[in-house]
Amino acid sequence: MTMSEDVVDVLIVGAGASGAAAAWSLSDTGMRIVCLEQGGRVDPGDYPTNSANWESRAFGSFAIDPNVRGLETDYPINNDDSECAAVNWNGVGGSTILYGAHFPRLHPSDFKVKTLDGVADDWPIDYATLEPYFVENDRIMGVSGLAGDPMCPPKQPPLPPLAMGLVGETVARGYNKLGWHWWPSDSAIISEPYDGRDRCLNLGPCMSGCSQGGKSSTDITYWPRAVKRGVELRTRCRVREIAVDDEGMAKGVHYYDENGDEQFQRAEIVIMACNGIGTPRLLLNSKSSRFPDGLANRSGLVGKNLMFHAFGIVQGLFHERLDSHKGPQACCILSKQFYETDLSRGFVRGYNMQISRGTGPLSTAMAGFMTGLIPWGKDHHDAFEKRFDHVAAIGIVGEDLPEEHNRVTLDPELVDSDGIPAPKITYKYGENSLKMIEHGLARGEEVIRAAGAYEVASGGPLRPTGWHLLGTARMGSDPERSVVNHWGRSHDVKNLFIIDGSIFVTSGGVNPASTIQACALYIADSIKKNLSDLFD
Amino acid sequence: MSNESVLGALLDTLVPASEDGRMPSASEVGFDAFLVTQGEAVAPALQAILAQLGDDFATLSAEARHEKVTELSASEPALFAGLLAQVYDCYYQDDRVRSAIGVVQGPVFPQGNEVARGNLTMLDPVIENCDQYRYREP
Repeated sequence: MTMSEDVVDVLIVGAGASGAAAAWSLSDTGMRIVCLEQGGRVDPGDYPTNSANWESRAFGSFAIDPNVRGLETDYPINNDDSECAAVNWNGVGGSTILYGAHFPRLHPSDFKVKTLDGVADDWPIDYATLEPYFVENDRIMGVSGLAGDPMCPPKQPPLPPLAMGLVGETVARGYNKLGWHWWPSDSAIISEPYDGRDRCLNLGPCMSGCSQGGKSSTDITYWPRAVKRGVELRTRCRVREIAVDDEGMAKGVHYYDENGDEQFQRAEIVIMACNGIGTPRLLLNSKSSRFPDGLANRSGLVGKNLMFHAFGIVQGLFHERLDSHKGPQACCILSKQFYETDLSRGFVRGYNMQISRGTGPLSTAMAGFMTGLIPWGKDHHDAFEKRFDHVAAIGIVGEDLPEEHNRVTLDPELVDSDGIPAPKITYKYGENSLKMIEHGLARGEEVIRAAGAYEVASGGPLRPTGWHLLGTARMGSDPERSVVNHWGRSHDVKNLFIIDGSIFVTSGGVNPASTIQACALYIADSIKKNLSDLFD
Repeated sequence: MSNESVLGALLDTLVPASEDGRMPSASEVGFDAFLVTQGEAVAPALQAILAQLGDDFATLSAEARHEKVTELSASEPALFAGLLAQVYDCYYQDDRVRSAIGVVQGPVFPQGNEVARGNLTMLDPVIENCDQYRYREP
């Protein structure tokens, strides 16, 4: 092992959504900042859409499931005891490389669920606290949307909305018939040239990476700015554990470099940005005599309260051609009609309805084979033609409430390529989530029929949908009931900060990337404002 | 009968040409060349399938071939699904096929797609009823 005496001011672990935002924010302080990222950079020329076989490649080395990809830079995840399989990307940009870029914010009510609905806990911060950071994040990332949505606090996205296309218009007609809310989605995809990047080309499969750079992943938004301002980004560096000194302060991290050689990097401040699974994994793997149950875990809550979001989908088949495979698959329009609590529905909290476009021809044909709706043989062409590009879908993204039995632990046997214990997920959907999804699927069927669909299929919660990794190192004011305080500092280790989705107290009912990044910017700003007495 | 003819008959059974001639059959889209790009992993599975179909498969009627492949799909579901995925992957990359179904030929980048912007006046009912849709203040 190489023990470096070199001490950096700030060490960030993870170069994804939150790590990139914090690195950029802190870079105006003049502090020496290093970020360690276990994966590498993706060359945009390597994304599947550069090849004719863009669909099949999306199921291989660019698959959303790390257990399917199995890259050396991935760590395996044991999902055997989980009803939902976690997905991610490990590399510069983190899961923004493969995300759908649907970019709604949590609602003001999401921060006050205990007060409003008597469930879970309130956050120690509120929407108003994060509002300026949402705005700043939208500006740096490049967000398209339409001002004026009555279901959200006022905001002005920096770019006009993405094209709705025939899918959006068709489903919107259904919402209008029922008198339900809908609005063009806020999307981290640029509808016009912005900040040196050219606009989205409507390639379609955003969730296998964007060759054009129209999708706002942090490798092309925050990172170039942060590196230009002096942040050092070290790739292929996999952290094993965070070390503490005799005073119980973090003194640095042990990590493996690209050659598999163990290194030690000293630091004054350590910031964890490894997502809701990676962060508890490393904290639990950082045991010492002072922290025998894992670092920053005196509450016993590190790894607990894992939330994913229950996800269901309704798919409608239309007589008219909708050009479904064209355009950003996950970003079109959304509905918040059932977002806020209405106890007459039989559950608390609510869900977002995310209208999405269809799939490419290979996925259509294979899904048709598996469901029996598109046979092989002489009837293949007619069945295919009836379905391909004739589909609109509604994703139901339901709020998942925190439950301590849903958790991340260290697998006793499974390890990554450096021998570091892999995370094991234990997760079961709560009764409230299941009722919510059942309600959402029924409402989805209702609206898609109102839009004109003549055949409807629905299902959920679906298993390989664990994009949103939340709650495993929750924020709070009580050290017995939370892992970090109201500005992300560990209650137990005063120079250790957590800025990723782990700190979410509750999940809201929308995709969390925007709120994760707003929290990261807020915490970075709090660090800057408290530099003089940061460890008091 | 050679493996080639059995494979050709299998491909024609899985995806025959359309009656109007617009869509080619799967045996007309260069599956041999496609297989080369898939490496060693596919060959044993394909050989196993061809062996199960038997040398006389290519001489059977279309109905008899369909029946035999149906039996194969039931007895070897994973093997069959793997083969079908390869056949569809090759088929739906073919320029003629893509042209016929309205998908850009070759890599989708940098060609991209045109998408209708959509009519935002459709939001008028939502805006008119905005009080009904107001988000909840804590």
